Amino acid sequence: MWNNVENLFREYMGTGLIVIIFCISLIYLWIKENRKYVRIMFIYVPVILLFLFFNPLFAVLLYDLAENEIYYRILWLLPITVTVAFAAVTLYGKLPKKRRTIYVLAAAAGIVVSGSYIYKNPFFEKAENLYHVPDCVVHICDAIAVPGREVQAVFPLDLVQYVRQYDPTICMPYGREMTVERWYYWGDLPDEMEKETVELSRLAPLAKEAGCHYIILSEEKEIIGEPAQFGWEIFGRIDGYIIYRDTTFSLEI
Amino acid sequence: MYTATEYLFSGKADKSIFRENAPLIYLREDAEGLAVIQIFVAALLLLAVPTVVGSLFGRNVDKGGRSLIFRWISGQILLWACFQFICVPMILMEVDFIYVVYVYGGMTAVILLAAGALLVKNKKASWAVARIEGFDRKRLREYIFWLIFWVLLAFQLIQAVRLVYSDGDDAFFVAISSITQDANTMYNKLPYTGSATQLDVRHGLAPFPIWIAYLAKLVGIHSASMAHVVLPVVLIPMTYGIFYLLGRVLLPEKSEKLPLFMIFTELLVLFGDYSLYTVENFMIARSRQGKAALGSIIIPMTIYLLLILLRQIQEGEKISFKYYVLLASAGMAGCLCSTMGAMLCCMLVGIVGLCAAAAYKRRNLLIPLALCCLPNVCYVALYFLLGRYYVE
Repeated sequence: MWNNVENLFREYMGTGLIVIIFCISLIYLWIKENRKYVRIMFIYVPVILLFLFFNPLFAVLLYDLAENEIYYRILWLLPITVTVAFAAVTLYGKLPKKRRTIYVLAAAAGIVVSGSYIYKNPFFEKAENLYHVPDCVVHICDAIAVPGREVQAVFPLDLVQYVRQYDPTICMPYGREMTVERWYYWGDLPDEMEKETVELSRLAPLAKEAGCHYIILSEEKEIIGEPAQFGWEIFGRIDGYIIYRDTTFSLEI
Repeated sequence: MYTATEYLFSGKADKSIFRENAPLIYLREDAEGLAVIQIFVAALLLLAVPTVVGSLFGRNVDKGGRSLIFRWISGQILLWACFQFICVPMILMEVDFIYVVYVYGGMTAVILLAAGALLVKNKKASWAVARIEGFDRKRLREYIFWLIFWVLLAFQLIQAVRLVYSDGDDAFFVAISSITQDANTMYNKLPYTGSATQLDVRHGLAPFPIWIAYLAKLVGIHSASMAHVVLPVVLIPMTYGIFYLLGRVLLPEKSEKLPLFMIFTELLVLFGDYSLYTVENFMIARSRQGKAALGSIIIPMTIYLLLILLRQIQEGEKISFKYYVLLASAGMAGCLCSTMGAMLCCMLVGIVGLCAAAAYKRRNLLIPLALCCLPNVCYVALYFLLGRYYVE
């Protein structure tokens, strides 16, 4: 339990520099701030919260109530941003006017160096449309959707998280849960779908068993077998993906 | 890159794939972007309505209660609390989503009328918020700092529209909004796959995605666009609005300190990606998710409300009933955002309440604060009771 809490805190801190600045800010405000209500809110309460976070009894209680993965959200109650900014501005007010500009630049540089620029996060990328899902998902979903009914399609894992955000009438035998390793979901169908070389003789029956009307595969994959042999046809090619359709099932309403 | 319609008519698409009976499937009404009228309705729902509703609190809560920012945020908090109050029972009764739209829409209209009537009654106070100060050369540094703040804010808003943050949780939360808007059901389908399922009580008690679906329905755009594009543009400034309110309490004297404080908060947010779990990361990257709203709006707002409570106690001011209504609303809004929100808000109120009771020797204070936490306690109890019932 203690290790879990410690790991959560370590992961939350990242490099730890901002947390160090936060602690320095707490000490600075403890010395310089006289207003009682500010001291309670921005000094005593954060200290109590940290004490609770690291308290094994409290951790045991909360781990029972909440999930262990979200225990770190207690740290959201620490007003880190406001405390650090307030301490920085308080110090600014104590400086002679001549030195203030240099101080502002130095403080800003300190924040920049201690943190990590959020838009440099590798998960950020340029949006392709106003739905903020990849264009290929929009095009494929629009192509396979049938007005007035749901259809079932199996997608490559890199697309599954976007499909039902854009079009909830497209159902899937598996979705995003398959992409999270620690949830331990896996099966024969995703296994076949994600192979570099896809054998239709193996994939087609599995997709049919899962009730799929469509299979979407990347054009970059090597695909062995003729779809017609297994009751499938190539429905179209869009944005680097091949769409196969089950010809034995009519989607007409 | 093409929009769906451009793609269809660009000649790049293999048109043989389009079935004859569904040639217009590409021509979704919202595929070409947000129309001016949709932006206007979104601004009305997310800016104007909450600001008018926030007039219900006004000066009764705090000295700063007359500011438009306070009205906007407190109004939205009250509206979120009302949504939670209406939506959760309807989810548990498994009624169609459209009834939530009717009932909540009606309730919003009633609150809006009441707030509008109050505004007309207090005409003088209403106009005071629009006071514009003249240029003062001595405050040049302050103006420059404000300019930097606004430029940095504009940059963040442009990035919110221009960039997309790939987060797996969207496959759950945004899909719930899309399903709700499309299928008119709430929490009866698995968002990952679309299979029918029994009611998902755990998530149904924190129906922030349903609120997104409600907005999307009224504005007439796709839930994904509402979640990924419109909401960040509104919720990110809301967080800075709360920082502004906090800054005004912490730095009451008129000087360049307040805009400098705001710039520092912006820098701390912009460079707050030192881990994936920080509230700053959630605020910028995942602002459409309820947990992000909890961390970056509800918790800071609760901190602000508790700070002004402490100040009012210290200055011997009377704490109004409306203050407690707003604090309880913030707690309920926390429940709307995340089931963990119910617990975190109570925890914060509890710790600050105990500190205040000890520091100011005001044990009686704990009673109204406990009452403010009562809705949250009810939701936590519901979570455990119904969770067990539905699992069995």
